[in-house]
Amino acid sequence: MTDVTININGKTRTASVPPETTLLKLLRDHFNLTGAKLGCDVGDCGACTVIVDGKAVNACLMLASQADGCELLTIEGLATQERLHPIQQAFEDHAALQCGFCGPGVIMSAKALLDENLEPTPQEIRDALSGNLCRCTGYTKMIEATQEAARALRDQSADRAVARIGKE
Amino acid sequence: MRAFELIAAKDSGQAVALLAKHGPSVKILAGGTDILVDFKSAPHVPHMVIDISRAADMKGIDITDQGLRIGALATHTDLMRSPLIREMFPALADAAHTIGAVQTRNLGTLGGNLVTCVPSMDSGPTLVALEALVTIAGPAGRRQMPLTEFFVGPRKTILNHDELLVDIVIPKKNLGKPAEFLKFGLRKGQALALVNVAASLWVDWGKQAFREPRIGLGAVAPTVIRAPAAEAYLEGRKIKPEAMAEAGRIAAGEAKPISDFRASADYRRDLIAVLTRRALENAYARAKAKHEEEKK
Repeated sequence: MTDVTININGKTRTASVPPETTLLKLLRDHFNLTGAKLGCDVGDCGACTVIVDGKAVNACLMLASQADGCELLTIEGLATQERLHPIQQAFEDHAALQCGFCGPGVIMSAKALLDENLEPTPQEIRDALSGNLCRCTGYTKMIEATQEAARALRDQSADRAVARIGKE
Repeated sequence: MRAFELIAAKDSGQAVALLAKHGPSVKILAGGTDILVDFKSAPHVPHMVIDISRAADMKGIDITDQGLRIGALATHTDLMRSPLIREMFPALADAAHTIGAVQTRNLGTLGGNLVTCVPSMDSGPTLVALEALVTIAGPAGRRQMPLTEFFVGPRKTILNHDELLVDIVIPKKNLGKPAEFLKFGLRKGQALALVNVAASLWVDWGKQAFREPRIGLGAVAPTVIRAPAAEAYLEGRKIKPEAMAEAGRIAAGEAKPISDFRASADYRRDLIAVLTRRALENAYARAKAKHEEEKK
């Protein structure tokens, strides 16, 4: 067995699992975090995308032990009790998801992009989402929703800056 | 996935010692984007896996007295973002960008791409065109060889079971050498190359002639190859569009493409001619831009 300690969505979690356990299996079967989906299980579809130490990865292509000591963000870490994350809100407003199976992965890829770049071009968004397959094929609305989310997050950070200056 | 025993190596020395101790059926795990897929589909997984993903001495991209050293564990994202690579070898960053998608580039490593040794690998042509060397660590110490000798056949490298690829070195004489990488796939995202090509060249500005032109071709032979006849044709020749087109035609004759469900051999040969010409044109444009920058 391998012992792993991972900070998941701000909470430290530990588990003891067989060495061949993937990060995806750890999340879904041991921590009951079923937002990341098991799609192709070979790194093609992106339905299992999570963010490890700031980078989007396929949780099916990492062993749980390789994430030991890392900071992990999953779809469950985005919304609060009160409200959706701006990316989730934009996806809802744009009806960007149909069956929804690819949704958590797509949104985490968008999150990883927007964490680094709040002014992505449509081409940069396409590049960032190219590892996420949607078999309902609704890509256009996802790209529009990501642009909308970028706008909302820019406004949010501008509002915060104004509030900070106001206080000073 | 079937069960296996997992040991983490903290550096290349420890990994080599573990390989020697546990014998030929042991497998090395780095980024995992190829090998974990194999483990999931293969009937037999190795009884033991050595995880080198945290081997500190195999990471990083830096200048040494040999040239530019890229640790085998550098990810494709690391290559895309490295200020050294973007400054000296934008073609290498472009090549890394065409591999898989964000998620695979964040995990997958340059060393893994080379060791997996599929003929269509996108890391190969640019490194071959820049005459990269590889450093191999084994029980008897380290050895170095040109990347073209490291490739043996489809999915086969020169590595013995007790050896490890530790780093890739672009020799000092080629630092900043203008180069270009071009890939033709059926889609932009997550597509294998039908053909990928890289060219590098220096320019003799006095004679307006090619100096040390190098061409790397991928997906058109059992391994990534050089195109020596096309290179010899260009060496010392005056830089003209017709010369680059002719080099493309010669390069197409040097490759041994196959017909498969993605493309016919004839189509691939046409692609080699066109992509080689364009890669030479673009590498020359880069050389020229740099030359004019330096004159200012």
